[in-house]
Amino acid sequence: MESSLAAEQQRILASDWGGGKSPFGTSWSKFMMWIFIISDALTFAGFLITYGFMRSISPEWPKQTEVFNMVLITFMTFMLISSSATMAMAVGAARARNPKLAVRFLALTIVGGFIFLGCQAFEWTHLIEEGARLTTNPWGVPQFAASFFVITGFHGFHVFSGVTILVVVAIRALMGKYSGDQVENAGLYWHFVDVVWVFVFAFFYLL
Amino acid sequence: MAEQHEHSITYKTYLLTWFWLLVLTSLALGLGYAPIAERLKALLLVCTTLAKILVIAAIFMHLRYERINLILITLAPLILAVILFSFTFPETFGNPTHVIAVR
Repeated sequence: MESSLAAEQQRILASDWGGGKSPFGTSWSKFMMWIFIISDALTFAGFLITYGFMRSISPEWPKQTEVFNMVLITFMTFMLISSSATMAMAVGAARARNPKLAVRFLALTIVGGFIFLGCQAFEWTHLIEEGARLTTNPWGVPQFAASFFVITGFHGFHVFSGVTILVVVAIRALMGKYSGDQVENAGLYWHFVDVVWVFVFAFFYLL
Repeated sequence: MAEQHEHSITYKTYLLTWFWLLVLTSLALGLGYAPIAERLKALLLVCTTLAKILVIAAIFMHLRYERINLILITLAPLILAVILFSFTFPETFGNPTHVIAVR
């Protein structure tokens, strides 16, 4: 009787969803990060689709090239893509068990994130000084400023959270308390923030 | 978790990926200023954006080395977004006074 119970336990653990295996082939923390990214992607999908809807029912929409400094926006995009590249290298270095190199790449990524945030603060200040508010703006339909502040605000807050997480991971790596998984999970989040900006850049600033 | 350590992407690959992402960004920027019809511009921008996120997800996020079931669940937001878009956007076609009147 006991041996058949043990055999049954073995059978369940060996099956794909029995708990003895990792069905997605990842650590639990990485899988949870993916689940978080998927749900967060839906938040931004909601924002961008609402923006498209509002823009489509508006009688007119301001020309972005006349409102925004496109050189600054392109530079911000460049910074975020570059910081994504250094983040990928940081993950590579952490996986290769080279904490010093990983911290260096993390530092570069953090600097990139701060430069992006600085540019965004500059852009917000400039537009607020010109009279843009959440419900009104000098360039026409109020939905324009509402979309701008809500979408770039939410994205900027994500960048800020990302920089905070990266600082924590970098400090822990310096203290020797780091794991490749930890750096990779932070990296996944950082690349996701980059992916969101790719959408915002294309549909809010360029279209 | 031995299988996730198997694939180590070289720094050269990351640099090449970075380069191609910058090329795609320049392409998108050029499209933004191109004197073409709005609908064609929107379509081409969707294409360049999808190309960019595919590159970021596949190489920077290591998705091409993950199991197929993990790759498939990451498509969920895209599919749900397309459903939300196609259910709501047609409301704005024509003269959408019924939408504005609610306000």
